[in-house]
Amino acid sequence: MLDKPASALRIRERLLESERLMEETGCYDGITELKLRNQDPLKFETLHTKLRAYCVSAREMARRISASPGVREVGEMVVAIYTSEGDAIALSNGIMVHVHTMSRFIKWMIRNGYEENPQIRDGDIFANNDAFIGTVQVPDVMDVVPIFHSGKLVGWAGAVCHELEAGGITPGGDVALAQERFTEGLFVCAEKVGENNELRRDYVIRCERNLRMPIYWVLDEKAKVASCIDMRESVKALIDEIGLDYWMQVSKEFIEEGRRAQLARTRQLTVPGIYRGHTFYGHVTKGKPGYQPLGDPDWLYNIPIEMEITTDGKIVMDFEGTQPWGYHSMNCTPAGMDGGMFVTLTQHMNFEGLVNDGAWMATELKLPHGTWTNPDNEMVATATSWALLLPAYGVFQRLLSRSFIARGFVEEAFVGQVNSPMIEMGGTSQYGTPFGMAHFECAAAGSGALAIKDGLDTAYVGWNPESDMGNIEIWEQNMPMLYIGRSIVPNSGGAGKYRGGCSFLSTWLVSKTDHLRLVTSEHSSRVFDNGGLCGGYPAPTCQKHRAVRHSNIFELAENGAPLAHHTGTNPYRSELEVRLEGEHVTMEGPYITAPHKTGDVFTHSYNGGGGYGDVLERDPVKTAWDVENGFLTKEAAEGIFGIVLDEDEEGFPVANLDATKRHRAEMRAKRLARAKPVSEWIAKERERVKTSDFAPEVKKMYARAIKLSARFARDFSTFWDVDAKSTLGVE
Amino acid sequence: MTSYSKEVIADLVSGTLPWPQTRRIMSAYKDDDRFFKYVAVLQERVGWKDPILLPVGDHLFICQSGDERVTKCECGHSFGDYRKNWKLKAAIIVRDTEESLREIYPNSDLPDPDWMEIREFICPQCGTLHEVESAAPGYPIVHDFEPDLEGFYRDWLGRPLEPLNKGG
Repeated sequence: MLDKPASALRIRERLLESERLMEETGCYDGITELKLRNQDPLKFETLHTKLRAYCVSAREMARRISASPGVREVGEMVVAIYTSEGDAIALSNGIMVHVHTMSRFIKWMIRNGYEENPQIRDGDIFANNDAFIGTVQVPDVMDVVPIFHSGKLVGWAGAVCHELEAGGITPGGDVALAQERFTEGLFVCAEKVGENNELRRDYVIRCERNLRMPIYWVLDEKAKVASCIDMRESVKALIDEIGLDYWMQVSKEFIEEGRRAQLARTRQLTVPGIYRGHTFYGHVTKGKPGYQPLGDPDWLYNIPIEMEITTDGKIVMDFEGTQPWGYHSMNCTPAGMDGGMFVTLTQHMNFEGLVNDGAWMATELKLPHGTWTNPDNEMVATATSWALLLPAYGVFQRLLSRSFIARGFVEEAFVGQVNSPMIEMGGTSQYGTPFGMAHFECAAAGSGALAIKDGLDTAYVGWNPESDMGNIEIWEQNMPMLYIGRSIVPNSGGAGKYRGGCSFLSTWLVSKTDHLRLVTSEHSSRVFDNGGLCGGYPAPTCQKHRAVRHSNIFELAENGAPLAHHTGTNPYRSELEVRLEGEHVTMEGPYITAPHKTGDVFTHSYNGGGGYGDVLERDPVKTAWDVENGFLTKEAAEGIFGIVLDEDEEGFPVANLDATKRHRAEMRAKRLARAKPVSEWIAKERERVKTSDFAPEVKKMYARAIKLSARFARDFSTFWDVDAKSTLGVE
Repeated sequence: MTSYSKEVIADLVSGTLPWPQTRRIMSAYKDDDRFFKYVAVLQERVGWKDPILLPVGDHLFICQSGDERVTKCECGHSFGDYRKNWKLKAAIIVRDTEESLREIYPNSDLPDPDWMEIREFICPQCGTLHEVESAAPGYPIVHDFEPDLEGFYRDWLGRPLEPLNKGG
């Protein structure tokens, strides 16, 4: 129990008071003036820099304790320092989505009487991975420790790692098969898991007995606790130096300054108004093993977003018109939605200066109750929230980018993130032991294009701006598969004046195991889940999986014959089919099948980003370089971009500028001849809409959106001049 | 205060500024005088005199055209009142068959045309592709951006616009 809270109030009452002051004054904790900053700005900035340094240093140290390649190699970790009420003051780099989700976790404990039971004491360790309390998905396990000084609770230190194995119905952490909470894995629901700076033995035993590969989770726990203690001790030493009263005031001023900085940044970089966009996500599981008949096996989600930027500089995002939650793993809690917003803001608007929960306070999310963004049922699964979160916040990035373009900050415009499908696995390892893990090379997808240059190739994901695919050799140590290829996928970025970043594809040989379960998640079927901007096309993101069972690869290798190292560029016959004999498998939607064995070959492809601008304006010289280096095919350069390439004496592609000019003029003329007035198209389409002549999944998507959202129904009715409800048969 | 010459802004906008310099601009404090320099650069680029009030796309601008404020293509084609959705006055190509989608996606798996189509919004005069929507069949065309033009000029730029004489 708290001996002496920092104010005269207990921490729960203090939290409520802080929220009341914010409500009354519009300023964080009622801080209407940044007194300490005004008194000595240099001291103020230096202190914040120190706090950031504590965070960055603690995270780097922890990464070296972790055994997980996800944390060590890819950096799937973040740490932060909080006020006693649970608001983030300073954070490290990494998976910054969790800085605010951890805030929700701390506040949840405070609101739920943890001061009395189980009590909050110096040396305690609390953990959580329940998204309805504060995280995104089960594998995102967070640990926090209270910071006491002079017997008072003066803050918290927190750390999150994405675990590679969470003990769910399928191996890994992004449990694709979870249709309800009860199959997602091992839950730790805001529990006290340690005392006196040490993890409880019974907690560790629970982890060891409920996970396929406990070494990842358990060592990550130790890494997180070490980083929390490190930050705690640094903060305590800092308080010794500056005094407790100064700390209590300055920590809050940091957050209020963060809030003001966000508002000022919005006014500086954007244009006020209403911005709209949408994306879609398709899911196909009909007939797949393991799925319980709880919801539709195949479905289509629409994700519309309306963003308002007010003249005060506040950003309000509204998800009205989107789909209800479902019996699948892709639902998201408000904590996850907050986290998505936070990680996007930190990348696009808060790239320097103070970044903390103040930035989040200068925004507002409108999450319609009952939708996947805010389920009205806490039993739903959220194991693969990112499947919908990434497309949604990709839209947010495009909306923000339109505002940057309008304002003139073209160098900040970014077509946005894409889903980067994940592969997870379990069974018997190459060492003959039980194992399970998520492969995290998905953290290096292609990014959307910028308004002044191409997107990043194999170097970006939305959830971790520090994107890294990890070394092949490290992954091979952890799974019974060997790489026989890791290749750039040509034409995988969306076409445009600036193309989206390209993705890559891995090809593996299953090795030294007779039981390898492979499961994939977070890839959209039948629809693009990303978009282009200002004339750029979406990246091709509806991908199928390809495998060969019982392949003759060992025989080929023995004979020195060519092997398949990628799927190739023929969409109708892959390189696997050309080179390998065996049982060829092409599967749409999540890859959930019988276990694989030594000698099988499997490929998994990640996603590229959307394009920017009109394709017919792409630089021919840059395109020749793209073709030479395998980012584009020569056929695509000519057919899509209108760029004619010749070959030099050594066979390298060279742009033929005159021929390109002529070819593009023809393409533009053909484009104009092919196009018809939008009014004509609307009149024709209206007849289709009136008869609701759509695929069942499309029809159902409309019916659900119309039922949940009066605004969507009104907009649909107005646009097509029909009665949406009767047209779609909504009661 | 950070500030760049009009020439630097022009090169930045056209994508021809050397990368190290672009990178420095990205990392530096933002230049508060950017907007009007940017508009001046774009004004010189277009072949018409109507003052640009706000760029809303790569080749799309809201401009003052006599008594009206309209959305205009860089070629000079007007899509009408800026408060209305310019896309409704555009030309369109819809890719809703495997054959037409394959033209853009030559070697990947394709979306199912029964679930998704691609809509290309084109200037009917010059053929510039201004915007691409990927949407389910039957999805209303989205009105991308309704700027608070008056609020922007009045509250953020400190240069209020002349009141419009005509209603929208």
